[in-house]
Amino acid sequence: MKQTIFDISRPGVSGAGLSDPDFGELDPSQWFDAASLRTEPIGLPEVSEVELVRHYTALGHRAYGVDDGTYPLGSCTMKYNPKRHEPLANLSGFAHAHPRQPESTLSGLWELFFHLAEHFAELTGMDHFTLQPAAGAHGELTGLMLVRAWFESRGMKRDVVLIQDSAHGTNPASASMAGYRCKMIRTTPEGWTDLDALEAVLDDSVAAVMLTNPSTFGLFEKNIREIAERVHANGSLLVYDGANMNSLMGIVRPGDMGFDVLQLNTHKTFSTPHLSGGPGSGPCGVKAFLEPFLPIPVIRRDARGYFPDEDRPQSIGRMKSFYGHVSVLIRAYCYILTSGPRGLRTVSENAVLNANYVQARLSPCLPPVFGGRCMHECLLSTAELQVSAFDFAKRLIDYGVHPPTLVGAGCVYFPGHLRDAMLIEPTETETRESLDRMIEKFLRVAREALEDPDLVRTAPHTREVGKILPPGSRGPERAHEQKRPASEPPTGTAAAGAESPPAAIGR
Amino acid sequence: MESHPEPLICGYNVHREADRKAMLEALGLTSIAELFSAIPQEVRLGRELRLPAPHNEWALGRHLRQLAGRNASTRTHLSFLGGGVYEHHIPAVVDSLTSSEALLTAYTPYQPELSQGLLQILFEYQRMLSLLTGLRVVNSSLYDGATAMAEAAWMACAATGRRRVLASSRIWSEWKAVLELYMRGRGVEVAYVAADPVSGRFDLRSLKESFCRPAATFLLQTPNSLGILEEIPAAAALCRQHEALLNVSCYPMMLALLKPPGELGADIVTCEGQPLGLPLSAGGPSLGVLACTKRLREFMPGRLVGEVRDIHGKPALALIMQQREQQVSREKATSNICSNQAHQAMRAAIYLAALGERGFREVAAQCAAKARYFHEKLLAIAGVEPAATGPFFNEFALRLPCPVQVFLERMLERRVFAGWEVDGNLLVAVTEVRARAELDEAAAMFAETIGALRQ
Ligand SMILES: Cc1ncc(COP(=O)(O)O)c(C=O)c1O
Repeated sequence: MKQTIFDISRPGVSGAGLSDPDFGELDPSQWFDAASLRTEPIGLPEVSEVELVRHYTALGHRAYGVDDGTYPLGSCTMKYNPKRHEPLANLSGFAHAHPRQPESTLSGLWELFFHLAEHFAELTGMDHFTLQPAAGAHGELTGLMLVRAWFESRGMKRDVVLIQDSAHGTNPASASMAGYRCKMIRTTPEGWTDLDALEAVLDDSVAAVMLTNPSTFGLFEKNIREIAERVHANGSLLVYDGANMNSLMGIVRPGDMGFDVLQLNTHKTFSTPHLSGGPGSGPCGVKAFLEPFLPIPVIRRDARGYFPDEDRPQSIGRMKSFYGHVSVLIRAYCYILTSGPRGLRTVSENAVLNANYVQARLSPCLPPVFGGRCMHECLLSTAELQVSAFDFAKRLIDYGVHPPTLVGAGCVYFPGHLRDAMLIEPTETETRESLDRMIEKFLRVAREALEDPDLVRTAPHTREVGKILPPGSRGPERAHEQKRPASEPPTGTAAAGAESPPAAIGR
Repeated sequence: MESHPEPLICGYNVHREADRKAMLEALGLTSIAELFSAIPQEVRLGRELRLPAPHNEWALGRHLRQLAGRNASTRTHLSFLGGGVYEHHIPAVVDSLTSSEALLTAYTPYQPELSQGLLQILFEYQRMLSLLTGLRVVNSSLYDGATAMAEAAWMACAATGRRRVLASSRIWSEWKAVLELYMRGRGVEVAYVAADPVSGRFDLRSLKESFCRPAATFLLQTPNSLGILEEIPAAAALCRQHEALLNVSCYPMMLALLKPPGELGADIVTCEGQPLGLPLSAGGPSLGVLACTKRLREFMPGRLVGEVRDIHGKPALALIMQQREQQVSREKATSNICSNQAHQAMRAAIYLAALGERGFREVAAQCAAKARYFHEKLLAIAGVEPAATGPFFNEFALRLPCPVQVFLERMLERRVFAGWEVDGNLLVAVTEVRARAELDEAAAMFAETIGALRQ
């Protein structure tokens, strides 16, 4: 680790001008009893503004975002985030609004929320939306709490949720949080949900079946109508993990496939930036029969205008304080308005086209796990490589490509023999030229794996730190700060040039 | 699906029609429709989406400015609103540094070799919050203060094996709703501990009685929903006696001046992190802070950044203890959280570093000083009384000699957000951004309005 902000602290300076001469020197001991006051300094660093800027600017350079280059992290939809959304997300009327203002003073916010919810409903074929959930996982949890409330309102107790074995880790985790037991449904060798396996566990304990479609294998569940019929015939609800909606806009809608509840991930499909890991937003949509249970408030319109309705006796309550991630949702709204209906369909078409293009061109050394065409992402087998998927991915870093999703790097989970597969989601915002460059780099690493496997196994060679093994095989982890001597000389960052071959070739 | 010319107006799609054709050809296909052949006809939409026509950049800007213009805000009105989120000054340097493109467009640092800078900011955040809360382990963010409290309640259940939690009745009402919903999901009973009507603090006797049956934890919010600072040591002693964990949710600003709850016996501390350099943004996105003792860290939800070594033995940063998380443990994970509030945590770190030790203490002291100045002026108004006698930090509750809602409406006409109603009392928050002249002027308006309503 480079010098921390603590290492460069110079007591007696502050990067912010703060004093208020009207109040002068302040002495907290006159307000609070001695026993409750701090007796020691907190230990926060003290730096001038210029030192602060240099420190965090340098750290900002030692990160990798979509603006730096391709980011084909499967399931995460790392598409380009348009700059025009940023100033609009931070307009004063939103950024400086207090959530406890009288509701009559926030009519612009209610109007935006109302229309955004309507647009989401049209896009997904659902009837109503809540924009409150904070992220995709939070939207999943919201949906499952709604399912639970619905069964309870009918005096029924069902305590099982069925989930694909390939499901994202958040699906089973959300089910547990909503009080359900999870049962996994197998995938067939072709990558579909195994209908017989589903039938075998579908009994009257099953509240819901949770599916991702396209699945985390990048395949469209072609039997979806049949699955929906069987699930509904069993009195269960069908829940959709909408994280992969980027492949379907304007083409097919989850509501029309038979789903009753879903969540969207605005930071994926609707291009709100991923912000180093969040905040995202996870709006949750439902069919009409679940509407009474939505968390409060629900934004409605009547003769007076738009307003937040809190008077909802059947509501599950609140998923978080206040209304939702406003600045994130504004960006999603802007994305929909800029794109228009055809633009959104083109987004999905191009996302699927790009993934198929990458899959086809990589197939000589990284054949698709399931053969056939994929949707917006492709699952490739690394079985024919001379190195592991993990080693392969790390070498890509030397070529300025963010590695694709693997088990343990990205939140996706592939069962059994697929543990060494690689999920690539190029997204629609990569040009053909950019894809070609990325593909060349993949092919080059595949060649290196044959010719000089050690070079690949010990990569990356061009970053400030070397390879870090996955959890479990990397030795001790420490959660606590280890003070480094302030005198340690700062070393320059060694970023790989995006196009030039990495310096370490041949070492 | 026929192919269509792309409207030039859409700046987000990158392929020209010729590019699409060439790429299809490379796939041995002739139409985009063939890519979607796996989708059964009967579920397809078969029509265009009914959405607004594409907006160009200036039309979009105009529309959004119109919507924003329909909102009042703390920039158009004089505000004394608090209740968990507060109008603090955010140094411009915080916005400037956090809008670095890589930090905006990166994702969770799954690839530590590419993300040392990002990991370091989160690591520094964890250390700063550890110093503030007095607990050793801090995760790198949850959604907000309310969900952090709910997750912390479950941590205590998981650690003690008990399925009952006690909570102060003076927690923000929205947070109670979140806590109850989360606990309903986990099958945990929530029992409330009464507040003392005079001091406004939690009632020690009621807490004792609530421990008649074992409980995993007592959840205490300080300052509470009447703005009163709670007595943490008393709660800690009772919790220890009943082998329960003490969970304290607090306003991060108070941690600048007051002893950290971790030193006073709290096992878990959570905060709504918005006051640490985050815009109000109508309540979100904010920041959930969660800190705990080392003993409890295996029950902790969310990402944790820590030190590891690379294959050459060189120290590096990475996400650690992932076996707690959903990507490894799935249904047995401590939480389902995946995307979190990393960017907000970075803002908090940069905010704290910008203010620094003395700057942060100065801001907190101004909050307390200005609140006291205003409190005194308001108590001088005939008929206005403190709602409780306990000590406050920068937010206080008053009993008014008139209906609170009517008073708030009258003040709104004068472009003042005069506070928030809690149980028939007026809750007033004052922060460092209020100038003395504003406080004098506002106090006069309070006096006039209350005087007029009293007749
Ligand atoms: C398929 C799938 N489901 C759910 C999620 C969880 O979404 P979030 O990270 O917004 O909580 C993800 C995100 O990684 C995902 O890829």
